[in-house]
Amino acid sequence: MKYVDEYRDGALAQKLAREAASLVSPGETVRIMEVCGGHTHAIAKHGVEDLLPPEVEYLHGPGCPVCVIPMGRVDDAISLAERPEVTLTTFGDMLRVPGGKGTLLEAKARGADVRMVYSPLDALAIAQAEPDREVVFLAIGFETTAPATAVTLLRAREAGTRNFAAFCNHVTIVPPLRAILDTPETRIDAFIAPGHVSTVIGTAPYEFIPAEYGKQVVVAAFEPIDVLEATAMILRQRAAGRCEVENQYTRVVRREGNPRALEAIEETMEPRETFEWRGLGSIPWSALKLRPSFAQWDAEARFELPQVRVEDPKACQCGEVLVGSIKPWECKVFGTACTPERPIGTCMVSAEGACAAYYSYGRTAKRRGRPADTALRA
Amino acid sequence: MVTPHECLTCADVAVEAVVVEVRGDTAVVEVDGGREEVGVELVAPVAPGERLICHAGIAIARAAA
Repeated sequence: MKYVDEYRDGALAQKLAREAASLVSPGETVRIMEVCGGHTHAIAKHGVEDLLPPEVEYLHGPGCPVCVIPMGRVDDAISLAERPEVTLTTFGDMLRVPGGKGTLLEAKARGADVRMVYSPLDALAIAQAEPDREVVFLAIGFETTAPATAVTLLRAREAGTRNFAAFCNHVTIVPPLRAILDTPETRIDAFIAPGHVSTVIGTAPYEFIPAEYGKQVVVAAFEPIDVLEATAMILRQRAAGRCEVENQYTRVVRREGNPRALEAIEETMEPRETFEWRGLGSIPWSALKLRPSFAQWDAEARFELPQVRVEDPKACQCGEVLVGSIKPWECKVFGTACTPERPIGTCMVSAEGACAAYYSYGRTAKRRGRPADTALRA
Repeated sequence: MVTPHECLTCADVAVEAVVVEVRGDTAVVEVDGGREEVGVELVAPVAPGERLICHAGIAIARAAA
């Protein structure tokens, strides 16, 4: 990928949209869940859905790690940040996520030492530069981000840095997909699977979806042409009566993923028996915690945490948005009580959240924006 | 560089970068005209000119040229 233009080519987009239109029967509905917030963002920003025939509908899945973190874990992070000896570091988006006791940014305003970093390696560097501080990295993300935390832990061990710890909230992508597929009201016909998670885990872990649930999966990159091409690949499979895992992101993703990244995760982390997902409830073996051999660098082992479960705000319908049962604009508080400036739910906090994507790009009209549904078939 | 409409936590902002210089487990890479350091132990060995997918300060994959 040398230039972004080739992945935003209007003529190619129209060609793929026309092909998509030729592959669906009028009146049928093909519901495609794009799992990753990055795809949601591309669809909302570039109006991808508006190009497609009305028979194709995107459902926005739970692949935004910020959106699925439960409020109790945010409160645990705030309690860590409020310890006088602790410097709490994390990615910028996490600072604005409301827990039961406000946000990390508000804790910072009250005097807590909270710092934004771009990489856990930056957090380790802070620990090494300031040996009198206990530097905790609030680790969050799917298998794309977990390798960075793993490498940081391995480097901390190698350097003997003992004033660094990770508060691990890493989650894994396959268990929530299975949980959604097992939900009786699931309306999903096919999946666009996340490109960068798949650089690490490969495409093989999705093979149970066509095998056990009979739904197509296409791993895709994040530009609008990528999403359109993945959509066309799903529709081609359906038209040909095929049901398999295909890879649109061949320039980066391999079937086996990145074995060395998986080894680094395996060496430092192990599956957690259960983890609460916002909107999906507790899902067994869906998250990672540090291995006992890394207890020295594990914030959960080293610090006492409140670990109180906090109910989501009643008005918030993030849960229904995250499983694709409602569109963001169907939430009672969307764009009124809940906006990116004053978010109630996490889907509005993270820029990749479905609600924030819809709100930011003005997709609040409660209908598909393409004026003439028949134009593509002409 | 992460724009306000992108979330660093989310993997989709992993970026393609070109290796400029390698120093052990760290490489200097060029992204959008800027330079930054990334850990390369998960994709090593790497050489100048190779393209990597980087996220949160770590190279997680190689990209085809």
